[in-house]
Parts: sequence; C-alpha cells; structure tokens
Amino acid sequence: MRELDASVHDSLREMHGYMRLAREWDLRFEKMFRTGALSKWYSSVGNEATTVAAACAIEAGDSLLTLHRDSGAILRHYLDIHEILPGLVPQTSSGRKSVGGDSRQRFLRLACQMLGRKHGFSAGHERSYHYNLIEEQHGLIHIGMISHLGSMIPVAAGTAFAFQQQGNHQVALNFIGEGATSTGDFHEALNIASVWKLPFILVIENNRWAFSTPTSQQYACQQLADRGQGYGIPGVQVDGNDPEAVFTVMSSAVDRARSGEGPTLIEAMLGRHRGHSEADDSLDLVPADEQDGYSSQDPLDLVEKKLVDRSTLSVSDLAEIRNRCASLVMVLVDEAMSMPQPDPDLPRRIHAD
Amino acid sequence: MPTESSTDQSEILYIDAISDALRDEMRADPSVVLMGQDIADHGGAFKITRGFLDEFGDQRIRNTPIAESGTIGIATGAAMLGTKPVIEMQFADFISCGFNQLVNVAAKMFWRTEHPVPMVIRLPGGGGMGAGAFHSQNIEAWFLHTPGLKVVTPSFSGDAYRLLRAAIRDPNPVLYFEHKFLYRRERSAIDKNTTPDRIEAESNVLRSGTDITVISWGWMTHRTLEAASTLAEEGIEIEVIDLPVLCPLDITTILESVERTSRVAIIHEATSTGGFGAEIAAQICQDAIWTLDAPVLRITYPDSPPPYHKDLEATRIPSAERICSELRQLKQQ
Repeated sequence: MRELDASVHDSLREMHGYMRLAREWDLRFEKMFRTGALSKWYSSVGNEATTVAAACAIEAGDSLLTLHRDSGAILRHYLDIHEILPGLVPQTSSGRKSVGGDSRQRFLRLACQMLGRKHGFSAGHERSYHYNLIEEQHGLIHIGMISHLGSMIPVAAGTAFAFQQQGNHQVALNFIGEGATSTGDFHEALNIASVWKLPFILVIENNRWAFSTPTSQQYACQQLADRGQGYGIPGVQVDGNDPEAVFTVMSSAVDRARSGEGPTLIEAMLGRHRGHSEADDSLDLVPADEQDGYSSQDPLDLVEKKLVDRSTLSVSDLAEIRNRCASLVMVLVDEAMSMPQPDPDLPRRIHAD
Repeated sequence: MPTESSTDQSEILYIDAISDALRDEMRADPSVVLMGQDIADHGGAFKITRGFLDEFGDQRIRNTPIAESGTIGIATGAAMLGTKPVIEMQFADFISCGFNQLVNVAAKMFWRTEHPVPMVIRLPGGGGMGAGAFHSQNIEAWFLHTPGLKVVTPSFSGDAYRLLRAAIRDPNPVLYFEHKFLYRRERSAIDKNTTPDRIEAESNVLRSGTDITVISWGWMTHRTLEAASTLAEEGIEIEVIDLPVLCPLDITTILESVERTSRVAIIHEATSTGGFGAEIAAQICQDAIWTLDAPVLRITYPDSPPPYHKDLEATRIPSAERICSELRQLKQQ
C-alpha cells in the first residue's frame, strides 16, 4: 500500500472525530426516547459518513439545509472540535474557513433545542431539527426542515440565488432522502437551479427505504444520480459509507458551484439502520439479511477499521475518543435537561415588525 | 428607453400605478428582484414590467420556468438572506401550484424561527372579462386563513402605488391582489411622496352615511360607490368603507361605523361560503350585535367557479343594480 501523507491521516481522523461525536449524540437521544424522556426521535445513525464529509467541504458563509438524519453535518458545521474536545484530533490546515462563535454554548443550545427548552433555537416552539440558526457575524447559515419532505429544496436553492444576486462565492448545501426525489419541488428547484446556474449542491441520502416504502416503489430509474442528466447538471453516485469518497465528490461539486458553473446532484448510497422514527416499526419491513448487510457496512465501523489498518489510530485510541465524545454529550444533555422549560406566557409573534 | 415614472399627484391608471411602484422601489432598493413567467423580454402578460429588463438587467428581472412552487420556495430562501423578491403570478389562480411553499414554508417561517421573509407575490385576479374558471377567481380567503401572511387588495391607483411599495418594504410575505378589471378602467390621483414602510391595518371611508355601512374591496368598492350614488337619490345614505388591506384588518373603523348606522352589508366578488365576508360578519356579531337593527347582509359571488361566457359571468358578479336592490331591502328590515 502506498504511504499516505500526514494530511490524509489527519483529515480522516478529523472526520472520524465528528462522526463519533454525532453517533454518541444520537445514541444518547435514542436512549432518552426509550426511557420516555423525549417524545420523538429520528436517528442519524448510519448517515454520519455522508453528512460529516459533505459538511467538511463547505465553509463559513455557505448555507446548510438539513433533515433529521443530518446531525453529522450540523455538528461538523457548528462546532470546532478542537475547542470542545481539545487534543481529540490533530489540527488540520485545509485553509477552510470555519464558522466562528462559542462552540460549547452553541452545542448546549442545540441540546436545549432537542429537548424543547427555552434556550433552544426555537424556544420550545418547534421540535428537534425544525429550526433555523443564522448567525451572520459568524458565517453560520443553517435552515432547518419542515415536515413536508422535499419542500426545503427550493428554499435551499433560494439561498444559493441570494448568494448569486449578491455576487459572492458562497454555496448552498441541502440534504434530502431518496423519498423526497419524488416531489414536484425536487424537479422545480433543480430545474430552476440549473437554468440559473445557482451555486447549489443537493445530496440525496439514499437509505433505500422512505418510511416503509422501498426504492422499487419510489422510482423506476436505475439510479437517482441519472436524473442530473435530465437537468443538464452532473449527477454522481457515491458510496455514502465512505467519508473520503463523499468528500472528494463534494469538493468537486463545491468547486463547480463556487466558480459559477451551477448545481450538482449527489446520490450517497447508505444503509437503513433505524426506523423512520424511533417510535414506529417500519424497520421490521426491511428483510433481515438486508439489515445485516447494512450493519456490516456501518460507516463508523468502516472508518475505524480503516484508521486501524492504516496505523493511524489504535483500538485503545478509538475507545478513548468514543469515551470522550460520549462524556461530553452526556454532560451537555444533562446540563440542557436542567435548563428552564419554555414560558407559556411569553408571546410569540406571527408577523415581523 | 425606460418609461419615466409619472409625476407626483397626477391621475394615472391603476395598472400604471403598479408598474410605477415596482420601478420606483427597484430604483430605490437594489436588493429588490422581480421573478415571474414572461416578465423579462415580454414585459409580463399584462405588460406591467415592460421596459424593466432594459433598465434593470437580467440579474434583477428573472423570467422563471413554469414552476410556481419552485419560484415561491426560491424567493423564500433568498428573502431570508437579504434579497427582496417580488413574484408576479401570471394569474392569481396559478398560486395554487405554490400553495404549500406559501402557507407552510413562507407563512410559518417567522413564527417558527423569528427569521423574517420579506417578499411580495403580486396576484392579478378577479373577473369581468370572460376569462373562465382559471383566470378569474378571487381567492383571498384561502390566505386569510393562514397566519403569517399579509393580504392587500387595493381598489384605487393611489392605494395600488402606495401599498405595493409598502409591501416590498414590509418584512413579511405579502400577497398583493391587483384586480385585472381595474387595470385600465380605474384612474385616479396618486401621491408618490407618501410611501410607508409597512403594511398596516387601514381602511378608506369613501362616503359617509347614516343608514347602512357597506364594506367592500377591489372592484366591488367601485360598484358599491355606484350603488351608493343611486341610493342617495332615493334618500338612503350609505357609508362606504373600502378595505385596501384585509390582513391585518381594521375592524375598529368597521365597528365604529356599524354602531352609528345599525345596519351592515359586506360585498365581495369572492364566493360566499368561507369568504372573508363571513369573518367580518362574525366579528361584527361578536362585538357589535346589540347595535344592529337587522341581520348582517353578505352580497357575494355564488358558490360556483367562474363561468366562461360574459353573460353567464355577469349574473354571478354583484352588480350595482343587485347591490341597490339588496340594500333597499336591508334598509326596510
């Protein structure tokens, strides 16, 4: 095997750090859901390689539009891992502009948001990932989802339109599931984005099941990436369990968008590791051997194996990283649990003044 | 050469007031961008943006594909980040294709996230021209049932100009209903020096009267005025309240008037059931029922899509004669 240079090791270590943090984040909330401390949870388990790697390719000033399964992208974009977990991963020198601000405080508010607390980003009015966080002074533009899947695709393209109107070189990154590719908004937004050459990257997290609907009942084309051709844009399918592959594809898409050449459609192939939400039995419909296949391709296991195989990290290093991530999540979520509930007497305005 | 804006205080056509407001606000604010079908080279189905492409260029005058949902969604995202989109729906009826983006994404955004969505959707609506079921509807009530939007329905050139500029400056999604029948028939003075920054509750008491309060908007305000003149000759004095803004609603002026006249009618071109007249009637009943000498009257389109033939359509739209006749009966109750 060819000797890898230090930056490749470091870059994978950094992605792994965020993937592990996202995994521990989700496992914590899954546990809270099971104990009744949370009324609803949609898990990101199994999507971390795609979401973390994709978010590594954007930078401060770019817009990020996410769904429930994108905690990896959110944590990657919001947090400076060196600040919240010093020494966990080596400093890299990619030249990427990170978003500014206090990472720990933002992380705590994110936990408050998940728990519906007053200090959450929606002050208890919206659940889990249905919120926005826009801190222009820190270059952070994150717009959350609504429940109507596919509806945020035009909005994401709209942020790209604002960037184009304002003549800067920012890009918009939007995640959707494969189910949302069946909506009219998928078509309308990609078509306009292509005609107007908007700096827009749409990543389909294809985990092959939309709630209980398999891809065979969702679309009849061979692969969703092929749809790019119909819009006159690149459509690329990538192994969504391989963060390095996702990062490579995303980097090209970002370069293309920043240079004014227009959008890219990326289809990241993933496994279905959890139910639609933790409250339903939709995972029971996924045949056992298919589920086993996905489990054997758990992106976190794969990346950890790669790190050990490359002698980047030892098994005990990985255990320590895991413990530190899990402890931080535990501390933050506990702290959020002790924060005040929303105040029912506080008015919420319908119109902006 | 771009069309020059009309001089202050002059009398201009309703359609030119809309065009002038767009042009003047685009000149004043470089973040305003127009989006719509056939609005660039063609100048729009009604030529309201004729000459705009030459003056403002193709970055700010954006022809869109036939994609109302995509267009409203893109406008929403752009509006959140400092661009001010004004969308022209070719016909108000077509906004149904963008319904979800409007009522679930744009309208709820501020309440959900406290991030404003300053955008305007211009909606050429209404009947009177034999344009059939999909080019004639009055659909304001669909959106008055959606918290988070503002709804504007100017009846006169002056309000059309002033409120369009205010709508563009307002930090909320504003639906601006412009009545096609009035485009080239309504002509009155406009004041370009008074351009507010927000859409707020307002009403025009166009005529004072002691017998009946009549509330209307859009084209129906003109028919109401016509009926009021006729009835005045018979000794029935109508107080005519025009509502250029339906949301937020100036209910105060309505209640004050009703308390004086004790009789009230609401006239709208939209269909009856669930129309905005029902809401106004309900508010009057809730807050002023003991001042009434007769039941609240609604004069509206029947619950029917607009028929194509002009003669058929004319039987549906409240005429000045029908308004006179129903108000005479109301006076006798």
